[in-house]
Amino acid sequence: MILTPKIFARLVAIVVLGVLLQLSFFSQVAVFHVSPDLLPVLVISLGLLGGTMTGAVTGFSVGFLLDCLLIEPLGGASLVLLATGYLAGLFRERFEIHSPLVPPLLCMGLTLFAELGFGAVELMLGVDTAVSGLVVRDLLVKSIYAFVLGWPIYLGLKRLLRPALIEESTVRRPRRPTVLGA
Amino acid sequence: MYRKQVRRRRAVLALLIIGSFVLLTITYGSGSNGLQRGVSTIFSPVQSVADGALKPARDLVNWFDQTFDARGRNSRLQDELRAARQEAVGADAALAENAQLRKLVQLNRGGAIPSGYEPVTGRVIARSPTVWFSDVTIDAGSGDGVEVNDPVVNGDGLVGTVTAVTGGSAQVTLIADSSSAVSAKVVPLGVQGVIRPNVGDPGDLILDFIDSTKHINKGQAVVTAGWRGQGIESRFPPNLPIGEVTTASIREQEAQQQVHVRPFADLRDLDLVQVLTGGSRE
Repeated sequence: MILTPKIFARLVAIVVLGVLLQLSFFSQVAVFHVSPDLLPVLVISLGLLGGTMTGAVTGFSVGFLLDCLLIEPLGGASLVLLATGYLAGLFRERFEIHSPLVPPLLCMGLTLFAELGFGAVELMLGVDTAVSGLVVRDLLVKSIYAFVLGWPIYLGLKRLLRPALIEESTVRRPRRPTVLGA
Repeated sequence: MYRKQVRRRRAVLALLIIGSFVLLTITYGSGSNGLQRGVSTIFSPVQSVADGALKPARDLVNWFDQTFDARGRNSRLQDELRAARQEAVGADAALAENAQLRKLVQLNRGGAIPSGYEPVTGRVIARSPTVWFSDVTIDAGSGDGVEVNDPVVNGDGLVGTVTAVTGGSAQVTLIADSSSAVSAKVVPLGVQGVIRPNVGDPGDLILDFIDSTKHINKGQAVVTAGWRGQGIESRFPPNLPIGEVTTASIREQEAQQQVHVRPFADLRDLDLVQVLTGGSRE
């Protein structure tokens, strides 16, 4: 990703708006008793568009702002989301996104990873009480929501950040030589 | 050139990971810090505006969820569903707010809130997105007299406790959070125990450490115990309604010394709450 001041401002706006939208809307609605989690999808999409560094830095920033606004211990969400963004970026750097299904599928898988990560951080900080089996339902349904949200968010961000993206140049196949008189 | 780039990337990544662990180590268990208070103070007004602006959209989405839920119920619930639909579809936020405030006033008048407590009403403006942290942010803070450890209720009963405050907002850790523990008693039996969450299921709490010789029955109410002794007292006033016993098998009571409790307050759908300020904050 080519980072100009304009693109940087756009990225900051995306991070702030994403966190505000999550806290004021997505966290407070429940579809089938589960609230969608927009933030991993946002970080994964940015990682897929910009690579490992963009994914990791935006993941860290989103997590930091989230922890600040929720007055949670700082660092937990940052750690999970930076790992999620980094993995998405790593995929972009290693493989080609050749199918429109790849971004939503990655959003689904990595959201599950992020939610498990949040659980791991919480367990690391100490949970000395019962854990309901409904946690599993919550994780799975959140991943399905991520699949649904993944494609529009990925496309929207791609459009918004188009001037900064390093597109793979179209590889033209050399023409077959024409054999005259054959 | 390429190697230099890779090295720089690795350095940034390592810095971010180390930074996360350092922040976690420094801030864990220390409540809110200056940075969080500053960021929260800046964003609180924006969050309040966003919360108000997005309320109709939230009501619409929640209406679909409630409608889907209600379809499977029997005809006895049809009237309630119609009433809920009227509230949601009509987007009559004022009506819903009025009902919530009335319930809060009833809770005050009913004597559930003892004298010495000054209720401060607040609205939920943000909610944690993960199932692991059950906490919400409200738009009342230290400027309104809210302090850490103040109990929080809504019209149905106990909701949680204040765990961090800034000038204009406060973090409320719900009773469904993994860190929550509330001393409680079953009425009219008086059996005492500790209300613990069942993480991931805000509709199910566990009344733990009960006296297994006294048998608790399904449907009995659970209220805060509000103990006092040797110069210290519970942060929760006595007799605040918490929930009702849902499953109370004798085997579970005898073997595990616990019963399951459904909270009176709908912890997934909180809007207006009251912080009981001025009580014990031990």
